[in-house]
Amino acid sequence: MKLLPDERLDVRAVLEDLEHYRPRRAGWTWRHHVDHHPVGPFVYEDASDDLEQSVPLPSAHWFGDIDPQGDMVVTTEIASGRFEDDLRRMRMAAWHGADHIMVIRTTGQSHIDHLIEGTPEGVGGIPVTRKQLRATRKALDAIEDEVGRPINFHSYVSGLAGPEMAVLFAEEGVNGAHQDPQYNLLYRNINLHRSFVDAAEAKAVLAHAGLLQIDGAHNANATAKQAWKVTPELLVQHAVNTAYSRAAGIPADHIALSTVPPTAPPAPKLRLDLPYAVALRDLFAGYRFRAQQNTRYIESDMREATVTHVLDTLISKLTSADIQSTITPDEGRNIPWHYNNVAAVDTARQTLAGLDGLQSMVTLAEDGPLRDEAREIKERAVLFLEEILAMGGYVEAVTAGHFIDSGHYPERAGDGIVRDPQGGAGAGTVVARAPGYGAPVCSHFGANTYAAGTDRACAAYGGCTLCDPSKVRYIDELDDVDNVEVRLAGVLEERARGLLRPEVEKAGDGVVCVTLFVPDSSAVAHAAALEMARHMNLVDPEVISQRVMHPAEGSLFEVKGVLPYAMSVADLPVPKIVLPLPHDEIEAFVRPRAIAVVAATVGEDEHSVGLQEILDIKHGGIERYGFDCLGLGTSVSLEQVLDAAVERQAQVVLVSTILTHNDIHRQNMQRLHDLAVERGLRDALILIAGGTQVTDDMALACGLDAGFGRGTTGQEVASRIVRILRAREG
Amino acid sequence: MRLEPRPDDYEARRAHLRDLSDDDLHARFWSLVGEVVAPLVDEARTHTTPAIERSVLLRMGFSSVETKALVDQMAARGLLGEGTGRLVLELAQRQGMTVREAGVALLDGRLWEALS
Repeated sequence: MKLLPDERLDVRAVLEDLEHYRPRRAGWTWRHHVDHHPVGPFVYEDASDDLEQSVPLPSAHWFGDIDPQGDMVVTTEIASGRFEDDLRRMRMAAWHGADHIMVIRTTGQSHIDHLIEGTPEGVGGIPVTRKQLRATRKALDAIEDEVGRPINFHSYVSGLAGPEMAVLFAEEGVNGAHQDPQYNLLYRNINLHRSFVDAAEAKAVLAHAGLLQIDGAHNANATAKQAWKVTPELLVQHAVNTAYSRAAGIPADHIALSTVPPTAPPAPKLRLDLPYAVALRDLFAGYRFRAQQNTRYIESDMREATVTHVLDTLISKLTSADIQSTITPDEGRNIPWHYNNVAAVDTARQTLAGLDGLQSMVTLAEDGPLRDEAREIKERAVLFLEEILAMGGYVEAVTAGHFIDSGHYPERAGDGIVRDPQGGAGAGTVVARAPGYGAPVCSHFGANTYAAGTDRACAAYGGCTLCDPSKVRYIDELDDVDNVEVRLAGVLEERARGLLRPEVEKAGDGVVCVTLFVPDSSAVAHAAALEMARHMNLVDPEVISQRVMHPAEGSLFEVKGVLPYAMSVADLPVPKIVLPLPHDEIEAFVRPRAIAVVAATVGEDEHSVGLQEILDIKHGGIERYGFDCLGLGTSVSLEQVLDAAVERQAQVVLVSTILTHNDIHRQNMQRLHDLAVERGLRDALILIAGGTQVTDDMALACGLDAGFGRGTTGQEVASRIVRILRAREG
Repeated sequence: MRLEPRPDDYEARRAHLRDLSDDDLHARFWSLVGEVVAPLVDEARTHTTPAIERSVLLRMGFSSVETKALVDQMAARGLLGEGTGRLVLELAQRQGMTVREAGVALLDGRLWEALS
């Protein structure tokens, strides 16, 4: 499957022949750091390889449309509920610099004690199934080819089906996973013993397949009443999962700590968060860091959230991070909208570019409050561990409510989470292995009669699915109502009829957001904003953000609602905007074909500059792609142009027609077509006209194949030629 | 049993840590973590669960629907501790079948009496 920049992603093409799809690689991929990397007018110190295609930051316009890429992997988390809509969101995020796509699971999947199949719709995420993983990985293959950088695909190996989920991820080429038994236990109330026993098996599978594991300690930040007080326990949670992962065979460089700066302004953020960031990196040297942005104190104001997230990213640059994860600025008010995934990725990209080379100029103080406070956090963490052992161990500490207490340990508020080690989901399902216990498969953890010999554990029957993927059994759908085909029938049918609706999350949702300032007191303004939205014909209007400018003078509102209207694309007056093909793609098509081009400024017309820029290699013209160009000069008659085309056996004729008095440009175009028809040449030639007053529609109306106006580039002309030739070649 | 509230007695508790170097403090941290985790790792080495057994059968080439049915039935018979994968493999070897044929036979309700 290949994606073209001017074509929407075709979900049907993604779904085609999924049964035989195999992932192209296993395991995690980091960005490739490049030293002293020149990009446009600048040299970057914390850079990685450039993308082949992207949408640069808006201000890049001033610097030659550069898009420098930092050396941290950038994450976006996606949670629409429909994987087929997620795919488009992933593509947009990738074009803005995301190379780690984390797919959130549907509410409740943690408590399902088996794998699920097919493509049912989720809530706040998707049900992770083999088909959805496979379709997503297949689409990401095409997206990473489009942008020119590997994209890591990631989801969750937690809940009651953790070991199977790990196998599924290994089989389907998923690149990273959250795995942390403490998350099951503390936040999902899954039985303690079940969580840990399952986790060892899941981690052994992740280790075998080279996935990057991310832990779950950030959940303690997100749930704590005063997140800056839980830092000692965070160090302990990271360490418990890390040590457990090492025991299960995951190497240090595949263990990533999920860490969030705990606070947000108006708290003195760096003074509180930086010592913790330093303490963590001191204790966990050699491991990887996935720096997440703060969600605990996010409100409905996207500007405020963005500033907090910039400061979070500053902490990453002042300390270290291997992955900079992003939080959408609208997470405080709704399930993230797709363009806010892009906004969050842009925030990270912009901040990381702006902070390039920071550590070569700024060093953290080696003494003073930063180091003193880092030391204190570490000591408090050691005391936390000592008390676990004094209580009798981990099980006893969890039973007593030692974890997730809101006190600043050893202070204790007495509100920790208490879990009964004999209770919770999946209680009573852990079984002792008999002396002859066996599991004839690879990457199995613990006692196993098949692990003793020199052969692989699966040798007796020719290999397990991890050694022989052809044994994987693919199930397409189990539910004939709740599946992607049924959903697509409605959405694609409407698109096929040429109808278009605005959207923020799912295809066809029709949701729009309007911003309005209402100059009255808060309560009056709120009611007025909703009524104004109704008068804009928005259905179900809802205020998603109100910022008081002054208690009496007025408030700023963002109001969302549904626009109950599908517009017909055919009725639109605007011309279709077509993105040019990538340079490499044009060249790969043109060079082997030796395509001759004849070009001239026609009529009594001495303008030469425009055509030169389209042709000359020096000006970025079409010669660079390997076209064999003959320029005939200015004031050339149309007959001479066609004579030259015959002589050169040219396939393409480019005419420039700048003068416009008496509609001479239109007459030239029409006559070029008519002459070519008279001489029996029309079918063999691609006729293209350019000029300041020429439009594509005008040229097509005159019988030509294309027309270009002011500001056209050689790349655009070459793209059009390639597309026409491709269409003619079938 | 729920732990009682307690004031921040960090200064008193830290007396034995105060003079440790950073390196010694880090070493103590990891040593304590090792002690906390060791019994959990031991339990995992010597125990199994329905999810682990399903993950084994999944790796042996059964679908998620098949693994659930097989593991549910083996759990009902108290067989998980033997290793469901081992039971299926040994059944296949005794019957001269492939692993898949043995699993499908069990799913069809056959050969249960021939499981060890």
